Amino acid sequence: MLHVPVTGSSESAAGEGFLSVRGLNKRYGDFIAVDNLDLDLPKGELVAFLGPSGCGKTTSLRMIAGLVPATSGRIVVGGRDLTTVEPYRRDMGLVFQSYALFPHMSIAENVAFGLKMRKVGRAETEQRVREAISMVRLTGKESHRPAQLSGGQQQRVALARALVIRPSILLLDEPLSNLDAKLRDEMRNEIRDIQQRLGITAIFVTHDQAEALTMCDKVAVMNAGRLEQLGTPVELYEKPQSPFVASFIGRTNRFAAVAKNGAAELAGLSIPTPAGMTGKVEVMIRPHRITLSAPADGAPCHAVEGVVTRSIFAGDILQYEVVAHGATFLVEQGTAAHERPLEQGSPVRLHWLMSDTYVFGAAA
Amino acid sequence: MEDRPISLTLRIVAGIMLLFLLAPVLIVVPISFSADTYMAFPPSGWSVKWYVAIFQDPKMINAFWVSLALAVLTTVLSLAIGLPAAYVLVRLRPRGSEAMASFFTAPLLLPSIVLGLALLVVFATFGLLGTFQGFLAAHLVITLPYAVRVLSTALSTLPRAVEEAATTLGAPPLSVFFRVTLPMMRNAIVATSALAFLVSFDEVVLSLFMSGPRISTLPVEMYHHVENEADPMVAAISVLLIVLTFAVVVVVDRTAGLSRTFVK
Repeated sequence: MLHVPVTGSSESAAGEGFLSVRGLNKRYGDFIAVDNLDLDLPKGELVAFLGPSGCGKTTSLRMIAGLVPATSGRIVVGGRDLTTVEPYRRDMGLVFQSYALFPHMSIAENVAFGLKMRKVGRAETEQRVREAISMVRLTGKESHRPAQLSGGQQQRVALARALVIRPSILLLDEPLSNLDAKLRDEMRNEIRDIQQRLGITAIFVTHDQAEALTMCDKVAVMNAGRLEQLGTPVELYEKPQSPFVASFIGRTNRFAAVAKNGAAELAGLSIPTPAGMTGKVEVMIRPHRITLSAPADGAPCHAVEGVVTRSIFAGDILQYEVVAHGATFLVEQGTAAHERPLEQGSPVRLHWLMSDTYVFGAAA
Repeated sequence: MEDRPISLTLRIVAGIMLLFLLAPVLIVVPISFSADTYMAFPPSGWSVKWYVAIFQDPKMINAFWVSLALAVLTTVLSLAIGLPAAYVLVRLRPRGSEAMASFFTAPLLLPSIVLGLALLVVFATFGLLGTFQGFLAAHLVITLPYAVRVLSTALSTLPRAVEEAATTLGAPPLSVFFRVTLPMMRNAIVATSALAFLVSFDEVVLSLFMSGPRISTLPVEMYHHVENEADPMVAAISVLLIVLTFAVVVVVDRTAGLSRTFVK
């Protein structure tokens, strides 16, 4: 099991985060949906829960919101233990994939709902609703019904409705999945802008790694109910700590090899392995970190001769399939105007840095 | 659903079917305006005297008020019992909720004559025969299955996320129910009310078993009247009932949309 401490940023170094999750578990009979989740999130950050469907990311979010009771574990926000607090007393804003607006209420009534529940005075309610609606650029639509708005507008109403109560944490459950691609990019920026402007702590559940990497301060990669790694997008990409993270974030070449005496054999090369690692290992190399010429600064690298077996021009990148000593490598190169793609059968020499080579003990 | 052109043959067949279904109802209208002292078609003369006769017959007027009060109370109680029942069956899903759902809808499957006989025996022991409470209980037995059915179906198609959104915004369970769940079930509630009202108001078989010398419903009085007399007054009452039914249907259509409410 991998338990990865919070890495990176200095403000989180001081012990517990703003949101602190300890040993959170969710079992449905024999099925373990969330397995011993530990998390510390600093105030003001946007953190993605990223993973394939069924990895436990939504269940974790719903346990934090209190909509799903935890089997065991502790949830603390800003020093307040919320583990047994009812969901309607947790002061969290939740945005759903399906928008979940109240169809029988106007946009203004939707946004005002949380304030009404808090018995906020009329004048203050009106002002805060007006501000929230203007924040999501929907001024003028106050008296519309949700059904009269587009999907993107409905999701912005949901965002305003969640934020107007000034929640301690904003929880977003795949908020962009029902939107079309163009709108998704727009909303992504909008959510990020608002989150940074308000300095609110937010969790963003997604299965889309591009969303997670481009808009979040940190990403928690989850798989089969477990937290595989929590780190900044760069850390996940450059220093994956498990084969799952390496293969889930970005594309990668995966090779099975056997480690013996501190090295594993791959395509006639001897790849150094971490001390003490023996038996089956996985070697991973990112396709776009493989170059066709030796690095100019003479950094230590691996090199191997091969033949191009497939050549695909994909506009912004060139993809080659190269067979070298029986191993098939996927190689990606940026395209340049003057360059002609290599043809099938061309001999090539592949290079990649030692530091771009990841070796993992084979997953159980 | 897409609109396809309907063939002429189909139109004719449909027209004949409609006529077949409506003919008996339509024939009641001219008979109700008959000047004769017995029901015959076509009438030999025209008059509104049978409409006047209804209002001069205290038995009929009493029975009408009983039926109306009964239908209104049955409707209110059907909602008051049906809503929590549907909520428990659909949302809380206790052990055995499927069996309970079948149990709730079972009276729909029984022939009403069997139900009537059973209720007669049971109610006789409790002295409920010939009482308003007895009528009410009997009518609830047949309206509740409709209520639970329609309300459960509506509840199960409501997205949970909307209720959860209300919860995270700070609404305790009761507030969620009254401010979100209930308003979203508006159409189903209108449909249930209309069904319960009409089923109760039209009910004859069970009411025949329940009625006594002191209390009776309009359909039962009409039945007794036809047994003894052959005058067209019953036709006049029938026309008024058709108007009432039609009014209920129009109200449902205006408030909730007819096909949306019943077809779904």
